[in-house]
Amino acid sequence: MNTNPSLPGSTGKIETIAWVAMRISGIALVLLLFGHVLIQDVLVGVQRIDIDYVAGRWASPFWRIYDFLLLALAFTHGMNGLRRVLNDYIHPPRSRRLLNGLLLGFWLVVTLIGGIAIIGGVRSVP
Amino acid sequence: MAQLKTVLTGYTAYRGREGQAAFLLHRICGLGVVLFLTIHILDTATVYFIPALYKEAIALYRSPLFGIGEIFLIFCVLYHGANGLRIAFFDLAAPRLWTIPSQRRSFWITLGVALALWLPAALVMIIRILAG
Repeated sequence: MNTNPSLPGSTGKIETIAWVAMRISGIALVLLLFGHVLIQDVLVGVQRIDIDYVAGRWASPFWRIYDFLLLALAFTHGMNGLRRVLNDYIHPPRSRRLLNGLLLGFWLVVTLIGGIAIIGGVRSVP
Repeated sequence: MAQLKTVLTGYTAYRGREGQAAFLLHRICGLGVVLFLTIHILDTATVYFIPALYKEAIALYRSPLFGIGEIFLIFCVLYHGANGLRIAFFDLAAPRLWTIPSQRRSFWITLGVALALWLPAALVMIIRILAG
């Protein structure tokens, strides 16, 4: 027995890929996110974080790629998780399709906003 | 609405012990983390889109109320991560271990790991809030 729940009325193959992707991205996220939280929340702390701190951090390509991976993996993992949770409580196929469409749009918009910011970097305060 | 009531009364009436606790905690923590993550992506994005606004966002996070919320957020990250590893391990490496006794045992280990990582982190953060 495993916990793979192919949703009724959906294509099983895509759900199986999503199911595996949640586990693989989850394992990667434990490393990335525990590291991020340890550095930013515990060791540095928000009292010492400001726009210059972000600029200094993103001066290094390593941290930019790190943050980009974190953004892509965490938000995708989170949005798919939210979709799974909502699908547990919302059953009509039409409502599900609408919900999936809205979540996909939201995922795309927020990922683009975050991705453009990481690529564009810190702009100086006017 | 009636369905939501069924769900919520089901969660409180069903006596699923450790397995149910693991599931509910995983779900609540996951939803909490993704809510903050969404806000956090947008606040960080202001450094590019509206740099003057970043200071305002950070000022909010520096308030004691957010500081306390941050401590619970860290617990959510740690528990969701530890329990997620447990699920991934069982699903991908040892599906035959999906039995009630091993679920119960492994839930306590997961919770123990999460608490052992969380308590020192929470202590550091509480001291920092008190120091102002």
